[in-house]
Amino acid sequence: MKRLNLSGNEAVAQAALAAGVKLITGYPGTPSSEVVDSLWGRAPAGVTVEWSVNEKVALDTAGACAWAGQRALCTMKMSGLNVAYDSLISFAYSGCSGGLVVYVCDDPGVESGMPEQDVRGFAHMSDLPVLEPASVAESYWLTGYAFELSEKIGGPVLLRSVTNVSQSHAVIEIAGDSPPPQREAVLIRDIKKYTKGGAEICLAQHRDLLARLDAAGRIMHADSLHQLELGERGKPGIISVGVANAFVPEALSLLREEGIDTAGFSRLSCRATIPAPREEIAAMLEHCSSVVVLEENEPYLERAVIEIAYRLRLADKRIAGKLDGLLSRIGAYDAAICARGIAALLGCSYQPQTLAAFEAEAYCCERPIGVCAGCPHRGVYIALNQAVKKLGYHKDEVMVTGDIGCTILGMSPPFQVLWTEVSMGASVAMAQGYVHAGVKTPVFSTMGDSTFLHAGMPPLLNAVQNQTPITAIIMDNGWTAMTGMQVNANTAAQFQQSALKKRVDLADIVRGLGVEQLWIADPYDLPALTAILVEAARLPGVKVVITRRECAIQAGRRKLRYGRQHIDQELCIKCKRCITTTGCPALFWDGELVGIDESQCNGCGVCSSICPKSAIVREGE
Amino acid sequence: MMKELSVFLVGVGGQGVLTMAELFMGAARDLQIPVNYFPTKGMAQRGGSVKAQLKLGRDMVGPTIRPGSADVAIAMELSESLKTLRYLKDGGDLIVYGYRWQPTQVMLGKARYPTLDEVRLAAKQAGAELHYLDPQALPADCADNIYLLAAAAKLSLLGELIDSASLREAITRRWPKSAAINLASFDAGLAAKE
Repeated sequence: MKRLNLSGNEAVAQAALAAGVKLITGYPGTPSSEVVDSLWGRAPAGVTVEWSVNEKVALDTAGACAWAGQRALCTMKMSGLNVAYDSLISFAYSGCSGGLVVYVCDDPGVESGMPEQDVRGFAHMSDLPVLEPASVAESYWLTGYAFELSEKIGGPVLLRSVTNVSQSHAVIEIAGDSPPPQREAVLIRDIKKYTKGGAEICLAQHRDLLARLDAAGRIMHADSLHQLELGERGKPGIISVGVANAFVPEALSLLREEGIDTAGFSRLSCRATIPAPREEIAAMLEHCSSVVVLEENEPYLERAVIEIAYRLRLADKRIAGKLDGLLSRIGAYDAAICARGIAALLGCSYQPQTLAAFEAEAYCCERPIGVCAGCPHRGVYIALNQAVKKLGYHKDEVMVTGDIGCTILGMSPPFQVLWTEVSMGASVAMAQGYVHAGVKTPVFSTMGDSTFLHAGMPPLLNAVQNQTPITAIIMDNGWTAMTGMQVNANTAAQFQQSALKKRVDLADIVRGLGVEQLWIADPYDLPALTAILVEAARLPGVKVVITRRECAIQAGRRKLRYGRQHIDQELCIKCKRCITTTGCPALFWDGELVGIDESQCNGCGVCSSICPKSAIVREGE
Repeated sequence: MMKELSVFLVGVGGQGVLTMAELFMGAARDLQIPVNYFPTKGMAQRGGSVKAQLKLGRDMVGPTIRPGSADVAIAMELSESLKTLRYLKDGGDLIVYGYRWQPTQVMLGKARYPTLDEVRLAAKQAGAELHYLDPQALPADCADNIYLLAAAAKLSLLGELIDSASLREAITRRWPKSAAINLASFDAGLAAKE
């Protein structure tokens, strides 16, 4: 055994290795990325760890590995499961011969800016068991348990974490170094299991799927996976799942301090919502005067409790939660919210203190999300704004669709050039939709390199097939940046993990998709990029502009600088246009002069092209 | 029974707030104190708001600090310090290092930045015990986050749970080659005047 300081995600990675995993795949996405990140470049012998092109590819790859009898782990954020779900439901119906665990992180409270969805809904539709760790330590042992369960029932298991568990760090005990995976791959020809040919096969698979979910429920019950602590008969009870389990002890001490007596309350701490722990819930309902259900986001467990109460003819018992309006489906939970739910069972209305301090936040200065000093995207946003002007339009007349990742930052001041954000790859298809809607002005789309590879190729092909006039900009910074600098197929060869260090050039893909009008531009060269965008907007058909410069953060980590900029104070007229147009954090106004913070400036030179007096000069020029 | 302590840390990306929190966690680990450390970077690189939540002394614990319950709050930036008041308990210690990291709009005079008096007043209204450290008093060559770490431990309940020796050990372990300069920053923080 070893005691290590691990995050929830790192704990999942270590537990997978301890379970003898053969393959770990994933696509980067906050808050799930560190499972693969923590093993990147240091996978033990015999284990493959890869960043896949997208979540569906990641799941198909991991699924086949499990069909060959191995243990495989696939990781993604909640939005990723939206992409991979087509395959997940098929794997669910087929089952697997090895162990397949799909680790997905939800983001209650939305720390990273996507819909606040609850992936347990997907598990309902595909009848998959969902294990829900409440802590870093549980992230570790539930991962091992998930592999065991998957092999016992013969089907995939979902492991669902949330931001504040996956990103938390704690010192936990883990197994020592694990031996390399021992199993040999097996090829299983089983048409009835591994294809979907016709009603007979599919209906049988549906029957088997339901049997697997039932089996999962029996196994979890036999293993006492859920913690049932019955208190005094006739007193209220608390049913919770996931991270809410971890908040309950603090909520109970809080209520004690407030003089609210919860002695004798029963507790059921569930480690899975699906399948619902029917026996344990029934025991609670029979034993307790009333129950409260504590779970973040959607009331899936609560619905199960209500259904079980109805079957037991206990439907008149109070079941407090979200469906009665007591607690919210929106946002992350904390101990105070749990305390409010528990107090309600006693008819007490526990109101978390509302402090004058809330008003103090109004004095805080805002820190809008912006792009980093030297970020190549800055040049694209400014060039787009300049091109729109040169084309004779106002910026409110030209649609520029945005996409997922750092590239969406062009929605923020000072650029405010992007209009939309939907899902990976949507920008290119949406641009076509605006054209078909009858928009008469040029339509642009913007996306990053990893987004293009993930889901941008089919919509670009669609534009080519239908010759829909759009200008698609692919902002190629060489990395999957916003999620913490992961490698994608377009990343420079030296950073690739594969033995042959293969890199795929975006330009080859774009040409291969049938695009005949392609420009490759330097986003640090504003006049040239602006001229290209103007030219492209005026041409018919499908146009693609690849803007190419490495992410400034990654380049900066290798001490790459493009030169030293300084301000000729005799030429500077203090118009501050450099600051207001670029929003570059390396430029500052000290109340008297404009200056450049040398520690941040990478010499990209974009500010030089903005200055009306050519006062920002490159040293030595 | 082991003492429980909730610590809320804030600052701006690039200041070393998370490093400070990680050092507290490392020292707590040596002392066998259970810790849950939950950092939130949001989508921010340098210049964005950063927060970290430390819950010490309880084995099974929810990661987030509920409003009105932090025993100690540590802010590396003046404006950001206001964001801790919601979480601080009545009478809790608020240690503020008064560095001003001004966003562009503030620099250009187009947005307001809170004054020190406004922060003092807000802290008073929230019942916080404010310990203000003037960045002008930071000795030359000192790392401000290590300086603040030491001062915060000394001025708050944190010091009762995590002693200086353990923090010094955590610092030495993190920077074996540049321990001396970081330990000097630590000693300067212990001697810091409010």
